[in-house]
Amino acid sequence: MTKPRLGVPDLGIGVGLRVPHYRHILSQRPALDFFEIISENFMVEGGKPIYHLEQVLEHYPLIQHGVSLSIGGPDEPEPSYLARLKQLVRKVKPAWLSDHFCWCGVPGAHLHDLLPLPYTWEAVERVAERARRIQDYLEVPFALENTSSYMTYTSSEMSEWQFISEIAERADIGLMFDVNNVYVSAYNHGFDAREFIRSVPHERIVQIHLAGHTNLGKYIIDTHRGHVIDEVWELYRETIRLSGPVSTLIEWDDEIPEWHVLAAEAEKARAARNEALGLSATPSAGEPAPARAPAAPHGVNHSGRHGGPRELAALEESSLGAAIAE
Amino acid sequence: MPNRASRSGPNAGRSELTELQHWVVRHLQQLRALPRDPALSLEAADRLTGNERVAPVEQIEIYREQFWLRHTSSLVEDFPGLGGILGQADWERLVESYLQAFAPDSWTLRELGRRFPEHVARHPELPHHQLCCDMARLEWAFIELFDAADCPPLDLAKLGTLPPNVLETGQILLNPALRLLEVSYPVADLRMQLLESRRNGHAGAGVQIPDPLAQQLVLYRASDRRLYHRPMSPEAFSLLSALERRLSLVAACEHALQAWPEHAERLQQNVAGWFQAWARCGWIVDVVPGPASEAGPPRS
Repeated sequence: MTKPRLGVPDLGIGVGLRVPHYRHILSQRPALDFFEIISENFMVEGGKPIYHLEQVLEHYPLIQHGVSLSIGGPDEPEPSYLARLKQLVRKVKPAWLSDHFCWCGVPGAHLHDLLPLPYTWEAVERVAERARRIQDYLEVPFALENTSSYMTYTSSEMSEWQFISEIAERADIGLMFDVNNVYVSAYNHGFDAREFIRSVPHERIVQIHLAGHTNLGKYIIDTHRGHVIDEVWELYRETIRLSGPVSTLIEWDDEIPEWHVLAAEAEKARAARNEALGLSATPSAGEPAPARAPAAPHGVNHSGRHGGPRELAALEESSLGAAIAE
Repeated sequence: MPNRASRSGPNAGRSELTELQHWVVRHLQQLRALPRDPALSLEAADRLTGNERVAPVEQIEIYREQFWLRHTSSLVEDFPGLGGILGQADWERLVESYLQAFAPDSWTLRELGRRFPEHVARHPELPHHQLCCDMARLEWAFIELFDAADCPPLDLAKLGTLPPNVLETGQILLNPALRLLEVSYPVADLRMQLLESRRNGHAGAGVQIPDPLAQQLVLYRASDRRLYHRPMSPEAFSLLSALERRLSLVAACEHALQAWPEHAERLQQNVAGWFQAWARCGWIVDVVPGPASEAGPPRS
């Protein structure tokens, strides 16, 4: 473990904890530095989600990542949401917790999407002020993630990297830096991904996300499907060279592969990180990213799947209960 | 810098940012593809930059498509039995009308279907309408049971320490992961068949719509955290329903007797055995001294 940044340790290499892997993880306990959970999937009272969470907690460090805070929405984040989130923080005891630089709806409508904010001073003030208060309330280091986006506003007054840097500095929070999102948004909006990476406050990066995506030609959708592509690996090495060792996580939420494929991707991240840090000359391990055919736009779900399939009642049928004295 | 606010019109008082967000949400919830609306294309160009590959209105259309895809997928996952009863066209119309009538408003997709049973009940034009109503209620109950609070079983040793009249006056607490459901069709069995068919790649083909059959079901999550259903006799169901309303055991028995006088003898013979069995299987989780609820009308 290296020198903490914002009080946050470098946990090494992790992957997102997803339902299809529960059985393998709990029975085989594969070597891995940490898992990340989607907070909302475990903000429930009991049943299988809590049971599985407690089982995994016994053997691995867990980090929480949220998708529903809506920190940039018109209204303050819901107090009941924050109270539940804090309950979960007390159970999980993550070294840090993150959500997104985004908004999810307006009062009376939650769209379950990570909608981009206009990069305006008004939005900077709104998000920074809330982020500072949320970090104080949750009593755990808090970070926000740069989102992938598909639209840009005429009202924007600065670049995305200026926007997120300004908020992070004002609120004194961390950056959850998603390198794939930088690549996706750079492609979609025509900016220079390397300029983005060079321009953010590297000492505030507390975690890095890597993922696959789906290139439809006209634009890229952040599907978290498939392998991390070579260009994103290169951007990741550059990020690590600038930031130093930072906890890194592979997200794979659609067409989730068998565990060994995901584990190989995680090891590829470890090799890339070591290489960027000059710790090893070992070339990246793992399979090369396969050529990707553009998928049809319909059926490509870009954010409803964060966290992969939900663990839910409908995935299992009920059984006829045993005869109970009658 | 202070928030800049719109100065006039229906959105007076909203900041520019907030007004932009309401505009986006309004259009993301549209059922029709946005690029077909020439007026909106102009409006979008005022709000969104677009780029050389994607026009402004196409940018917001990406998010609109995702809104519908995400929420319809979620309902498909949550209500597989209902989807199995309805054909594709009826299902799509139902889901679209639901999302228009009840916009998602919770931070969790788990809550998306909360009012789906109510919406189904309002659409008598659906084929097999009563069966659809029963299935929607059953599937929502399973969603609630799945992650309801965990509760340890009744501590039988504690029973011996309670005042002797506790069963007459105290509250019998049922497991939070238990629901009581009266249905007109054997929907739980039908749901099992539909899911089995889907698992085998047949998407419900060959599964027969059952004849009506009134059932009183106990739906519960057992200690293995799996979901179960169990048809009950009317009098036992009536007793459990009264306990669910926090009546004392004695008051609950009286209600069951009133509701099913023809089964009085069977009820009196079995009630002690039922209580023990329901405690053993975790349906009854506590007995609390103190006043139980006022007697209300029996449910069945």
